[in-house]
Amino acid sequence: MGIMDRITERFTSKGSTKQPVTLDETTVLNALRVVQDPDLHKDIVTLGFVRNVKISAATGGLEGQHEVSLEVNLTTPACPVKEQLKTQCEEALMALPGVSSTKVTMTASTRGALPLNTGSPVAASLGQVKNIIAVASGKGGVGKSTTAVNLAWSLAKSGSKVGLLDADIYGPSIPLMTRLNAGATASGTLVEPPQVDGVKIMSVGMFGQGGKATIMRGPMAAAVIKQFLSQVAWGELDYLVIDYPPGTGDIQLTISQTAPVTGAVIVTTPQEVALIDVRKAISMFETLKVPVLGVVETMSHFICDGCDKKHFIFREGGGARVASEHGVAFLGEIPMDQGLVQASDEGKPYVTSHQKSPVASAFASVAGAVASQVSILHAENKNVLQHFSLEWVH
Amino acid sequence: MENIRVQDITQLDPKTLGILWTDGKKSALDVVMLRRKCPCAACIDEWSHEPRLKPEDVKDTVRPVKIESVGLYALTIHFNDGHRTGIYTFKYLRDLAPLASSGD
Ligand SMILES: Nc1ncnc2c1ncn2[C@@H]1O[C@H](COP(=O)(O)OP(=O)(O)O)[C@@H](O)[C@H]1O
Ligand SMILES: [Mg+2]
Ligand SMILES: [Zn+2]
Repeated sequence: MGIMDRITERFTSKGSTKQPVTLDETTVLNALRVVQDPDLHKDIVTLGFVRNVKISAATGGLEGQHEVSLEVNLTTPACPVKEQLKTQCEEALMALPGVSSTKVTMTASTRGALPLNTGSPVAASLGQVKNIIAVASGKGGVGKSTTAVNLAWSLAKSGSKVGLLDADIYGPSIPLMTRLNAGATASGTLVEPPQVDGVKIMSVGMFGQGGKATIMRGPMAAAVIKQFLSQVAWGELDYLVIDYPPGTGDIQLTISQTAPVTGAVIVTTPQEVALIDVRKAISMFETLKVPVLGVVETMSHFICDGCDKKHFIFREGGGARVASEHGVAFLGEIPMDQGLVQASDEGKPYVTSHQKSPVASAFASVAGAVASQVSILHAENKNVLQHFSLEWVH
Repeated sequence: MENIRVQDITQLDPKTLGILWTDGKKSALDVVMLRRKCPCAACIDEWSHEPRLKPEDVKDTVRPVKIESVGLYALTIHFNDGHRTGIYTFKYLRDLAPLASSGD
């Protein structure tokens, strides 16, 4: 029997609502079972999101009336349906007899992978990072770094602790795009990343021989990237966004095998040539069993000053098509905007310099979608030992 | 098999590696067998898939030093004979020995 039936039954059997009704935590929790998390496909009570239920007499001394206050603890502060869930909770509570007011507080604790085994070479640097998001692309120039920066900033704006790691040894661009001028400071054997707007940033460009990276050959590049991944003191983070080198070579493999990557976001433009490379990038992560969180399409269309209409200069919907072909989520599309180029050149992440723009809200929505996919993944992988190291005892 | 991963990994006895999989099944893997079945290019011919390593090339006394995860799909074993190039995918490991149900 559904909760609505139960509520109805209670009304009809007891007759008048004026009669005092026993209102306890169980009644409240049962009422909230009608509220479903659309990503996890379970109700918020089963998911264990509801906390601190308090039932008190209504202020103003209304006979038999109560105020119910509680907390809904979501899996990410970037949850795109936070407000919708809050409203549904309030409605479900108000439908209960004896409830005259509600106080629903939305909080979040970002879910993450199980702790890294202490034997792991990246335990000191990445051991307290809950989620590592690879931002990758099949080729360069598609807006991957722009997406990485704005994704990091959007997640941070929603209240998450965020780091941004520029691993593009072929063309590190994050320091310029974020106006990073502070260097890294030593912290024991590790390097402490500087912060911009509360986002911790580290770039291969700031690290050792980063500048010479373009002429570095395979094994050398792999050694540098491994060292880089194991020597930065990221501390406690909800999300670490990694700007990958473009393409699908050995270096991308090395990163994915060294860092405990939670999932990959694939960035593409809508053109067909770019999409061939996207398929390669998706296959690479599939082979590595790194979950692909989804596809982001950048420079999708442009909104002109005159008419506010979307003009699709490339073929429409390429990113969405390639996502559905591979059975992964389409995380959203970012419009073409000249302002973005300027903002990047000036070192200001667009989501803070142009908060009200369509581009900023597109990035915010992509960030919400990424956070949702990460939460779904953790719900599915509750029991997975993600990264381990076992010393054999003789 | 697609998404079956490791839930727990332990040393069962001096020469047996135990893996509890996410579907609740268990594998008990003899470490000498694992060394003999190393899937690396030095041990198995890449083209013919014929083993290059003869069983007698591996001593019965071989033991792991350390076992580490590789990405989310495999593990690697450093053996005390110095060999450490094999990447054992979870799929490969599940096929190497009969699976037991949880609770057995
Ligand atoms: N949505 C967009 N609209 C207009 N220009 C963009 C957009 N996204 C990125 N760009 C510009 O395209 C160029 C390449 O972007 P970048 O993020 O550096 O790509 P990648 O990291 O893939 O090489 C930069 O000049 C950037 O400012
Ligand atoms: Mg770039
Ligand atoms: Zn081998």
